[in-house]
Amino acid sequence: MTISEPISEVDVEVTINGRTRRHRVPARLLLSDYIRDTVGLTGTHLGCEHGYCGACTVIVDGDAVRSCLMLAVQADGGEVRTVEDLAPAGSDSLSPMQQAFHDNHALQCGFCTAGFLMTLESVDPGEWNEPERVVELLSGNLCRCTGYQNIVAAVTEAWSAYHGGGGSRDG
Amino acid sequence: MSLDIDSHIRHSTRHIGRSVPRREDQGPLTGRGRYVADIKIVGMLEVVFVRSIEAHARIVSIDTSEALAVEGVQAVFTAADLADVKTFPDYIPYIGPVKQRPLAEDRVRYVGAPYAAVVAVDRYIAEDAAALVAAGTTYEPLPTVADLDQALAPGAPTLHDHWESNYSFDVATHKPEVDHAFEQADHTFSETYVSQRQTGLPMETRGVVADITDGTLTVWSSTQSPHMVRSTVALMLDMPEPQVRVIHPTIGGGFGTKTHIYPEDIVVPWIARLLDQPARWIEDRMENLVASVHAREQRHDVEVAYDDDGTIRGVRCASTLDMGSGEIFMPGTAPVFVTNACVTGGYDFPNMQARTIGVVTNKTPSGAYRGFGIPEGAFVMERIIDRVARLTGTDRADLRLRMLLQPGQTPYVMHGGGRLDSGSHTESFEQGLEMTQPALERALARYADDPDVRVGVGYCNYVEPTSPSYHLTTGHWGGGDAATVRVDPDGSVRVAAGLSSFGQGAETVAAQLAADALGVSPENVTVVLGDTERAPYGLGSWGSRGAMMLTGSVLLASERLMDKARAIAAHMLEAAEADIVLTDGAFHVAGSDQPSVSWAEVGTAAWIRYVDLPDGMEPGLETSGYFHPENLQHQLDDTGKINAAASWSNGAHIGVVSVRVSTGEVRIEDYIVVHDCGTVINPALVEGQVHGGVAQGIAGAMYEHFQYDPDTANPRFASFMDYLVPTCAEVPRMEVDHFESPAPEQPLGVKGCGEGGTVGPPAVVAGAVSDALSEWGVDLTECPVTPVAVRAAIRSAEAAGAGAGS
Repeated sequence: MTISEPISEVDVEVTINGRTRRHRVPARLLLSDYIRDTVGLTGTHLGCEHGYCGACTVIVDGDAVRSCLMLAVQADGGEVRTVEDLAPAGSDSLSPMQQAFHDNHALQCGFCTAGFLMTLESVDPGEWNEPERVVELLSGNLCRCTGYQNIVAAVTEAWSAYHGGGGSRDG
Repeated sequence: MSLDIDSHIRHSTRHIGRSVPRREDQGPLTGRGRYVADIKIVGMLEVVFVRSIEAHARIVSIDTSEALAVEGVQAVFTAADLADVKTFPDYIPYIGPVKQRPLAEDRVRYVGAPYAAVVAVDRYIAEDAAALVAAGTTYEPLPTVADLDQALAPGAPTLHDHWESNYSFDVATHKPEVDHAFEQADHTFSETYVSQRQTGLPMETRGVVADITDGTLTVWSSTQSPHMVRSTVALMLDMPEPQVRVIHPTIGGGFGTKTHIYPEDIVVPWIARLLDQPARWIEDRMENLVASVHAREQRHDVEVAYDDDGTIRGVRCASTLDMGSGEIFMPGTAPVFVTNACVTGGYDFPNMQARTIGVVTNKTPSGAYRGFGIPEGAFVMERIIDRVARLTGTDRADLRLRMLLQPGQTPYVMHGGGRLDSGSHTESFEQGLEMTQPALERALARYADDPDVRVGVGYCNYVEPTSPSYHLTTGHWGGGDAATVRVDPDGSVRVAAGLSSFGQGAETVAAQLAADALGVSPENVTVVLGDTERAPYGLGSWGSRGAMMLTGSVLLASERLMDKARAIAAHMLEAAEADIVLTDGAFHVAGSDQPSVSWAEVGTAAWIRYVDLPDGMEPGLETSGYFHPENLQHQLDDTGKINAAASWSNGAHIGVVSVRVSTGEVRIEDYIVVHDCGTVINPALVEGQVHGGVAQGIAGAMYEHFQYDPDTANPRFASFMDYLVPTCAEVPRMEVDHFESPAPEQPLGVKGCGEGGTVGPPAVVAGAVSDALSEWGVDLTECPVTPVAVRAAIRSAEAAGAGAGS
């Protein structure tokens, strides 16, 4: 076993959280490592790097994806959103869902939290308006600390307007 | 017990006892938390460890030349390079010494054992090169032992050449009164109960970053015990402790697995020192599953003596721990002692005779996991009670009520010396039973028309030792912790504690404590944890000790600080010290709130304006408290007994389950917890600990199981596809209620609550499923209770001719 081929490099241009970035990266670089190490946004966490735990979930072109299962080059020309983009810019305030997580003690170690928040951010809450549906939505993300009790409570609270049949997403 | 810390402090708002929102949340919520893997230092190299793919083998040779030829690879180290590193200490005298080297030398004893370290400019290149080292390794395979039976068979291959067998220890007690009980009892039975191999599995894997600058070696480690890492790194790398600084940044969970000090905690700092360049290793999940400690694999061979009326007269329990290879520091031997110490739970049951055995096998070393042996013991006792109830036609709940400690029966000394200082053993169970009734009715109604479903109830009444001695676990460290409290010139309060936090909210708790002890708002309190340079020596977070250790140490330091502050304020107000009170952050003379002196004025006097200090007073306003619970024992007494915990929490868990007979599917319909951890500092945090603990307990009861090939001792798991961690869809809704029985001998009556949640579920689920399937006579003796296990139990019962069939 030898490694003789040089690792090829590619140019990527990705808009992350509204800012367009250009980098030359190894073709094999994972999107997760690109976001964390190349761009320097470390709020996206790596819990398993085999696409199971959901900690590294980000939004690519509107869809929640596991950034550990995608190459950076696959996001070329795309638009990526990470947890750093959720809170209103330039203030200490939190998004309604972040606030609900805080108010409901829905995080302990916080390592999985970004993944949950991005999964939730990627959907239209109006389409997930029953308790069973919320459980189904969240079942793609592992949390080891909370037993999920308070995460469900936080989502229920944040989306209470939808679950009650009205209101706006930010309400 | 009064929550008044100091009768001279008056608060319009008290913080202890309230769900003060967590100060730890902002970072993780916004993506601005800093975990070990987020640390980046200019010039930082990446380390990847090469791990054994053989369960038991001699390493004949390691060819590193191809790896070294890869562009970007800086070095490849094997055991021979680490000759200057000391061996991990063997501090416990009564277990087999493993003489663990930081990298395996000529012998590997489990799949996952690290034997080489590759250093490269990036992780991808380091992994490429590690694969080349693996391919360049020649092994001479040795016969393996994959389980207890194989390890203890006559002529079994031994793991450690300097041992006579695979026994690490075998500690037996003999109680004539138990023999007597067996002679007198109407009946006896024998059974073997089994607890399967699991792990704590924090969502953040382990990680180490090391950098040496100006002679100081700084180690960022995802550890639960930074000071213990410092002491061990300094010892093994032969450096003075002040020249080693260990920091744990934000930690993504630990659950016991990060209490141990691993080879990587030593090797990465050694590399950084040798190469004079920062180095980093971040464990990936595949290696985490084989290289971080496992836990809970125990076998319990019991004999039970009982009477026709259901009275259990005596129990003999031999508990055998499968330690894996045993190559871990601190050793993973203590949990099985805790199992035996706690096996009788909240029951008044002295006639227990325990034997405690540790055996090595060719598997990942076992160690600490939240619960630390308690769930395994609770499972044994609850299964015994259910069996006796069934054999004698006694109601299972009634039998438990007959056996539980009654109000007024504490302090109560358990069979092994554990001294239950207080608790609500009967009350919690009675409350749980009351809460269960509607849940049971709901479940029965839900499935009334489904002939394929049976409903059952399971019970567990446990005790949780809190703030335990670490001497039994480590053979070295004790069981105290320190805090330093300082008031700066601007009146801000700083609390630094040796305790650590990996998600529990200890910083919030420390701020609540200091706020009430110094009459300030928590917002005025800065908390420093997890940095050996900034906080006093402490043992970290484990053993449900955080709340009590913080309470003891912060209050002790605060009391000393208040004495001095009061003297300064009295001087400034030209009044007698005894007349000074503090109301909402302002010192004044009792009876009149004017004039007053603020904390900032007192702090300024202490640090800067010495002219405002009383004559002869030493300047400064910083005090420390080293808290060690007085009643905590570290060594066995003359009778072989020990009270190795400063206090004891308790709880009752009850579950209602449905079982689909045709498929074996088990559903927890309702899970009820009545919990008592003494005085509660922050109710939301306690409830969160219960939730998370129960979810991990359910994981052990129904899903998680590390399985090994019996012929090769190779793991049959490689990822989360094989090791089933419960998701939101598997964890049921919990109903939690509380009692508060303050610890009579501890500050504020605080006990601890980190682990209790994990204890109940295995016993509850096995008990409930056995109850549901009682018409077949199913009596489960092990976990996880999977559909396969349930179907097997039904089939075997049917084959034996029992039950209605389906």
